[in-house]
Amino acid sequence: MAEEASRPFAGLSDVSIPEDIPVEGDISVPVGASRRDDEYSTLDEPVKETILRDLRAVGKKFIHVLYPKRSSALLRDWDLWGPLLLCVTLALLLQGGAADSDDQGGPQFAEVFVIIWFGSIVITLNSKLLGGTISFFQSLCVLGYCIMPLTVAMAVCRIVLIGGSGTVSFAVRLVVVTASFGWSTFASTAFLADSQPPNRKALVVYPVFLFYFVIGWMILTFSPSQ
Amino acid sequence: MADDTEDVELDFADDEQERARRGAVMRHPLASFFHLFFRVVAIIVYVLCDWISKNFASCFVLIITLLSFDFWSVKNVSGRLLVGLRWWNQIDEEGRSLWVFEAKKTPSGNTGTEAEERIFWLGLIVCPLIWTFFFFTSLFDLKIKWLCLVVASISLQVANLYGYLRCKSAGQDGRPPASHSFPGQHLLQRPDIIFGIL
Repeated sequence: MAEEASRPFAGLSDVSIPEDIPVEGDISVPVGASRRDDEYSTLDEPVKETILRDLRAVGKKFIHVLYPKRSSALLRDWDLWGPLLLCVTLALLLQGGAADSDDQGGPQFAEVFVIIWFGSIVITLNSKLLGGTISFFQSLCVLGYCIMPLTVAMAVCRIVLIGGSGTVSFAVRLVVVTASFGWSTFASTAFLADSQPPNRKALVVYPVFLFYFVIGWMILTFSPSQ
Repeated sequence: MADDTEDVELDFADDEQERARRGAVMRHPLASFFHLFFRVVAIIVYVLCDWISKNFASCFVLIITLLSFDFWSVKNVSGRLLVGLRWWNQIDEEGRSLWVFEAKKTPSGNTGTEAEERIFWLGLIVCPLIWTFFFFTSLFDLKIKWLCLVVASISLQVANLYGYLRCKSAGQDGRPPASHSFPGQHLLQRPDIIFGIL
């Protein structure tokens, strides 16, 4: 007895399972549990978290427009906050020329809204009819965010127009608007063209070209009321 | 695995808190307030726009901003806090767009009381009706600028209404999805695609 007690794990030296006793068990790895926690955490997360998360997503997309490169991750989390903000900013900047009277200087406020949103919807429908794989709101998101260079150009043009509206200012504005129009078109086709088969890419790109051309034209022909 | 004979500490203070929550008239007063605040202020601004500012643009921007905030807060905050419903859109790896409507199966202690539920649905249904009324008044008065604004407002409000009605029907159908369902889950999901296009 003492001998057995003195050797630790003595009783285990001969552990073997007789073959006639079935050994079975259930190993369940709770893979779902962590996902369940994720579900609970976003369903119950505090409001501030939600706001910050969305703000960060919007900021990330703006940066993507600045340095456009093919990234499908950008398209996955679409949101329309950026387009709304840019649309309102552009419409407000285009407003100064027609502040009091209805017919002079620049487009009406609602016209800018209608052109941008209706134009984006038409382009999206066009690309879907051509068999594009991108979804409706993703396309609206991309087109809206890529208006950013043109909005920046509009701000620059307003500043240049403060200095005067002669030939030099027109030349400067032309260069700025053309550059930003090219940038917008390039950025949006970087995201949109991938979703099309190769022989259809031009069919998808030209409406985008037209869309940004019209917006660029509105910016270039803006003249402040005296 | 936890031993069944383990001693479990009973925490009576928590129970009291739970009881207090269950008995409360409103569990999320702030969420209920904001649920109604943006929508009602937007309607008031629309009605009183002539007195607020002569400029159409500022009214337009103000109303659209208010309704965007309302859209976001109803979609992300009011729904899950007041009635335990949630809906969103996700893009899977193949780039397909999927709309998911979610409902809490067993209302946990944290979802809204009956009063809050009533506030939620009332606010969600009455406001689009008011905007539809504005649609017809601006249509018959031929105020096209305002019509544009009203159409935008209606689309923002109806989107939330539609989303939550789908969530509610997902909760009532009670069909758990074939994929990733684990026992005892508190959430019912019904992935769905609207019109196959969006």
